[in-house]
Amino acid sequence: MAETAAHSAAPLDPLEPRHLVAPHHDDKSLNETLLDHVWRKPGKGWFMLLGVAMSALGLLVIGVSYTLFKGIGAWGNNQPNSWGFGIINFVWWVGIGHAGTLISAILLLFQQKWRTSINRFAEAMTLFAVVCAGIFPLLHTGRPWFAFWLFPYPSTLGAWPQFRSPLVWDVFAISTYLTVSALFWFVGLIPDLAALRDSSKSLIQRRIYGLFALGWRGSGRHWHNYKIAYLLLAGLSTPLVVSVHTIVSFDFAVSQLPGWHATIFPPYFVAGAVFSGFAMVITLIVPARKYLKLRDVITDRHLENMNKVILATGLIVSYGYLMEHFIAWYSGSEYEIWTFYVNRARGPYAGVYWLMITCNVITPNIFWFKKARTSIPIMWVASIVVNIGMWCERFIIIVTSLSQDFLPSSWDVFTPTWVDWSIYIGTMGLFGTLFLLFLKFVPAVAVAEVKELQLELKHAAVHGADGVEASAAGTLTHGVH
Amino acid sequence: MPPLKPKLDGAPMKDTPTSFALPVVSDAAAAPAQDVVGEALDHASSRSVADEGAYGKTYWRSLEEKLGTAEYLEVTKPEFPEGADLPPTGVARREFMQLLGASMALAGATACSTRPVDERLVPFTRTPPELTPGNPLHYASGMTFGGSTSGLLITAREGRPIKVEGNPQHPVNQGAASQFEQSFLMSLYDPQRARVLRNGKSPKAVRTFGEEMAIISDRATQENGGARIRFLTEPNTSPVLAHLRERIQERLPQARFHTYASVSQDPASEATRALFGQPASAMYDLSKADIILSLDADFLESRPANLGNARAFARRRDPAEGKLNRLYMCEPRLSVTGGMADHRLRVKSQEVLSIASAVAARIGGNLAEVAAAGARKAPLSSEFQKWVDVVASDLRENAGRCVVIAGERQPAAVHALAAALNAELGAVGNTVRYVPATVTETTDASALRSLVDELMAGQVDTLVITAWNPVYRTPVDLGLEKALSAENPHRSKLTVIYTSLFEDETSQHADWFVPAAHEMEAWGDGRAEDGTVSIIQPLTQPIFNGVPASELLAYFLHEPFRTSYQILRDFWRGRAEVADFDTAWETWVSMGIVPEASAQSLTEGPNVQAARAVVDAYTPAATGELEVNFVPSYAVFDGQFANITWLQELADPISKIVWDNAAYISPATAKRLGLEAGDVAVLTYRDRTLEVPVWPLPGTTDDVVVLPLGYGRQGLHEVVARDVGFNANLVRTAKAPWFEGGATLTKTKKTHKFALTQSHWRMEGRPLAMDMSVADFHEHTGEGAKLYRVRGELPNVLPDFEYDGYKWAMAIDLARCTGCSACVIACQAENNIPVVGKEQVLRGREMHWLRLDRYFSGDEMGDVEMVVQPVMCVHCEKAPCEYVCPVNATVHSDEGLNDMVYNRCVGTRYCANNCPYKVRRFNYLHYTADKSPTEKMLMNPDVTVRARGVMEKCTYCVQRIERVRIDARVQKRPIYEKELQSACQQTCPTEAISFGTLSDPNAQVTKDHNDERSYMLLHELGTRPRTAHMVRLRNPNPALVPPKPAEAHEGGH
Repeated sequence: MAETAAHSAAPLDPLEPRHLVAPHHDDKSLNETLLDHVWRKPGKGWFMLLGVAMSALGLLVIGVSYTLFKGIGAWGNNQPNSWGFGIINFVWWVGIGHAGTLISAILLLFQQKWRTSINRFAEAMTLFAVVCAGIFPLLHTGRPWFAFWLFPYPSTLGAWPQFRSPLVWDVFAISTYLTVSALFWFVGLIPDLAALRDSSKSLIQRRIYGLFALGWRGSGRHWHNYKIAYLLLAGLSTPLVVSVHTIVSFDFAVSQLPGWHATIFPPYFVAGAVFSGFAMVITLIVPARKYLKLRDVITDRHLENMNKVILATGLIVSYGYLMEHFIAWYSGSEYEIWTFYVNRARGPYAGVYWLMITCNVITPNIFWFKKARTSIPIMWVASIVVNIGMWCERFIIIVTSLSQDFLPSSWDVFTPTWVDWSIYIGTMGLFGTLFLLFLKFVPAVAVAEVKELQLELKHAAVHGADGVEASAAGTLTHGVH
Repeated sequence: MPPLKPKLDGAPMKDTPTSFALPVVSDAAAAPAQDVVGEALDHASSRSVADEGAYGKTYWRSLEEKLGTAEYLEVTKPEFPEGADLPPTGVARREFMQLLGASMALAGATACSTRPVDERLVPFTRTPPELTPGNPLHYASGMTFGGSTSGLLITAREGRPIKVEGNPQHPVNQGAASQFEQSFLMSLYDPQRARVLRNGKSPKAVRTFGEEMAIISDRATQENGGARIRFLTEPNTSPVLAHLRERIQERLPQARFHTYASVSQDPASEATRALFGQPASAMYDLSKADIILSLDADFLESRPANLGNARAFARRRDPAEGKLNRLYMCEPRLSVTGGMADHRLRVKSQEVLSIASAVAARIGGNLAEVAAAGARKAPLSSEFQKWVDVVASDLRENAGRCVVIAGERQPAAVHALAAALNAELGAVGNTVRYVPATVTETTDASALRSLVDELMAGQVDTLVITAWNPVYRTPVDLGLEKALSAENPHRSKLTVIYTSLFEDETSQHADWFVPAAHEMEAWGDGRAEDGTVSIIQPLTQPIFNGVPASELLAYFLHEPFRTSYQILRDFWRGRAEVADFDTAWETWVSMGIVPEASAQSLTEGPNVQAARAVVDAYTPAATGELEVNFVPSYAVFDGQFANITWLQELADPISKIVWDNAAYISPATAKRLGLEAGDVAVLTYRDRTLEVPVWPLPGTTDDVVVLPLGYGRQGLHEVVARDVGFNANLVRTAKAPWFEGGATLTKTKKTHKFALTQSHWRMEGRPLAMDMSVADFHEHTGEGAKLYRVRGELPNVLPDFEYDGYKWAMAIDLARCTGCSACVIACQAENNIPVVGKEQVLRGREMHWLRLDRYFSGDEMGDVEMVVQPVMCVHCEKAPCEYVCPVNATVHSDEGLNDMVYNRCVGTRYCANNCPYKVRRFNYLHYTADKSPTEKMLMNPDVTVRARGVMEKCTYCVQRIERVRIDARVQKRPIYEKELQSACQQTCPTEAISFGTLSDPNAQVTKDHNDERSYMLLHELGTRPRTAHMVRLRNPNPALVPPKPAEAHEGGH
């Protein structure tokens, strides 16, 4: 690493003791480094990973086709477990999709400079996770060919959706989120697409990247409009970070099932979503930055900051668990008490429950230690463990609550089928495929933003730490003047 | 055990083996890939005889099918060939047949039904005389089963019978019908029914068969008076069949009739023969009985008197109808009746005699001697002494208002003691009367011993079997199968003629197989146990060319052909002493009942001294090890209903197992033997072994193994029934048909997966099925009884719905409900509810809208109490399902119904999640696909047949509400309470369900809602159900109530 070089170049901010961008880069070298993986021929590793991902994608095709052909009966759902893997995976994927918006929008508004190197990556992850999530609500309906009835449109049936149902809110929340995330991602890409166009070596590449660059020439007017649009989209995305998972949590909280009917669900779900989203970013970025040689821009500092977020949200999630159990006891309702203290902790799914506690409550606490926060292997394993834990959390919330509710006569267990597993693994394949294609065809790091940051940092090196803040604020508000 | 067999309603025909290469008439849609039809056509055309007439048209049907549509049956059914409706009486048979044959030829391929028919089906009086399309017609009919004929009222739509209810005019049924009678309709349309009359493997015309039988009987008449002819029949209750039998006996005086029933009333007959000088049936009047002692008598469920008993018994469980009765029960397994008992003693079957004797000894008087005789045979175990003392003193205190009932599984000695006790306690004439039995011959397996010996000795040339499937259901040691198989050296001389609805275990050994006409396809009659004669009216032409029983017997008379209608009508014309027979006949048929004097009670009381002889003659059964017990199945009886999917998927009322039987043992015995639920064990008994999967069931007596009959069927074409469960007949013996000690269970490494509709049997202390003693109910209606949680006003922030008209509501009385499950089948038939098969039930996807929740309380290792709670959609006023549906597919009606809009449902299943009663059912697969054309005829056209991906649930029979609304609107009046019944309410023999509108203050349902026992299930959630449940009250004897800490038994699990 270039730590020593950095020390010699400029004194570091005592609050930010490590570099966000390795200081030996100039614009040209950044261009070369960050665009290199697009122009480079993909290696064997990439093809192998793509092969694995597409095989899993094949499972998805099989699982989905079988489900459409047979009906939801191909899944393990039953009475009383009317929801199963479909909704578990939906919530899991939507949760993962939270990191991108959080990094892009909220951190942008909070002027957290360290976000620039990872926002593109996180946004892409968000987009693909939401695509994966979007498959489930549609597929899990009994008659998916009529699922469009959930949209409010002037139907010849003269019937509107039932606006009291959280599922209708879901439709708005998810479709808005998908649209805004896609736009945000794409708008952020435009300058980089132009850079790709300009460095293209063949006509076809130039035409294609040129088409998507929408005629970007980097003029002051372009930058002016671009900045406004980006800021507006960031503003639009901000409430979405909170709203999407809040509304997803309403699917449960609005019902009256013991284990679902809880007012703590919205904050607890949002925290859980950020928790799993950041974990997923770590899982993906650690190998990516190695193989794409992006260590200079995605530094250990980025990773450490993300681990801090994981620790913080993990503690919020733990608090959520604690409160759920407390309220269940405090309510005195024997149904609630049964759900939390008998069924979850000691029931047929106790193994999953304790796995969830281990993964989500215990694991993040290792990030109290700097050693763990900065150790690549530890954080990578921990991030995977966290996402296993978050999947278990959704399983516990959905399946245990449904399997044993009010009338013991109706209690029954849920057992997933091979179709459930293939669709779940298949969506990972879809996610992987999309992600690998993303890494191949567009820059994984926002090149223009990194360059800007680089200039700011240089500026700061000359004018002192305060200048960085002023300059960063200036960049954001520049267009207004 | 066999692998899981997912079977939908329409078990696919492609599974049907074609070893006989029988022409498969329907199901073209079900088996398109396999050219079964083509094979059958080839087979048939190579064997059919060109000039065969009447019944040879099966092949044409096949051709028709091959050329035409799948719906051909419905299209062609009413097409009679020209001339076929000529009155055959007076026409020489040959001439008639020629005419028929000619018309057949002229009619060509469309000539499908050639039965010469001029029969009028007279609709029931409350319907208009003309058939109006879209309006149902109700026909009175009957069903004979287990030695008794029920009076039924069958609903037909556009010529298709679709629903069976009890005949409200019938004194026993009074509108009710059990699960068997209701489901019997399904077998009418069963595509697996036999359809080809065959000799060996060659299809024959019925005419050929008739001629053959005429030849046999003619020859027998001339040679030896029928000395080498034997008939094996069901217990006969039919006057017309009795008459035919008499006439056959006249013609063939040496021929002999044997009767067999797997559940026979012989012990009772034997006892009453000794005590009254003639076989008699005990008719109980439980409405007058304050104290009932049941000696292993499942009198609320066992045929034939169950419906009447259940009704009278249930009335006495409702405090609004007067003082509560008290039921003492001793039995080896928890039965439906045992679940209703106030005090239940777990005994082995062979200990029942000791209980009866000890009670008799305590009663004393004239009973001293017989009691002493009984005690010698079966000394009382000291642990039962207190129970016996209390029961005896309770009986004595209530002399004249008590009754002792002995079960059909118990030997004659117990029946004799019961009769003696009834006489001594003054019950005879008050709570019980004895009437001459309708079935007088012996019907158990020992009666067949001589027949089997004759068969083995080659003394029989012709054996005519009209009894259902004796090869399957006779005990193994009888050796009937061996006598009918090639192992019998004289088999080649023997001609076996067998008639049945299905090609079954017995038909494999038949030389002539005659497909039987279903009871709903032919005319007949029959007697109920109390002597009431019903006319059994057909609802349709024979769908599969079945031959009616009376026509089959008539062939042995060698007379001109008469249809079952003519045979029946001629018989009654000769018998009835009425001036205007034709008018009387029309009335009888439309009412379904012949107003013959019902049976007179025997005037003489039982001879108590004779009882002693019966007891003395009793040989105690072997003891030791485990006591093996055989019981008829609550779902398929002795197996004759095993091919009916409704019944296979009907949960056993106690164990809740579907699609299986299990060897039930007590949890304590299971623990002792190291057996767990689903373990397969080897049952060794009398040198025979059988692999049985065990299921520990609370309430079973320790060291007892209970084997339900009726499973393990191997019928050739009975695809539904085949390999479901194990066949207990393989270890059942004629010597000990019901119970005997000396069995062992040895664990194997195999396990068996049972499908249950309810796997958790404790209430976990929740106030769900409220069940308490009278004292508890009155002492603390508040806190202690937990009633405060299920009653009273709740805060409510949302505006209420406004109603200006009807407010439909229901009330279910847990005190009356026995768990018999008739309502489940009624609901299934009324609402086109699909059967999903064992594999789907294992996944937890059964579709029954109405389920019977069964909870146990008490120590599972010891004595348990059972309570049954019917739950279907309770039509919440504040329905949790309504506000979560994203597409408005479940909505509140302006009469308070929670309507389900199938068309609009996209299947998010959110409503089911949010339903705290879990009464919603989702079509996870297309359960209604693959129905054969005949099975489609079973569907109720008033109710949508749901497809895959939509939610469904109880609608309060909204189609019934709408139907009566039409009449009410036309007549500008409100709907009367009497004209509207939900399907479950209609069939409930215990009148546990009331249904109507709360806007009528005088309606029963309103009274029930305001009753002191009424409560709301999960009231605290604020759903405000429109279905109220009513607390079940127990009436325990204070002398037997255990000291207090009984409250703690809940929630310990």
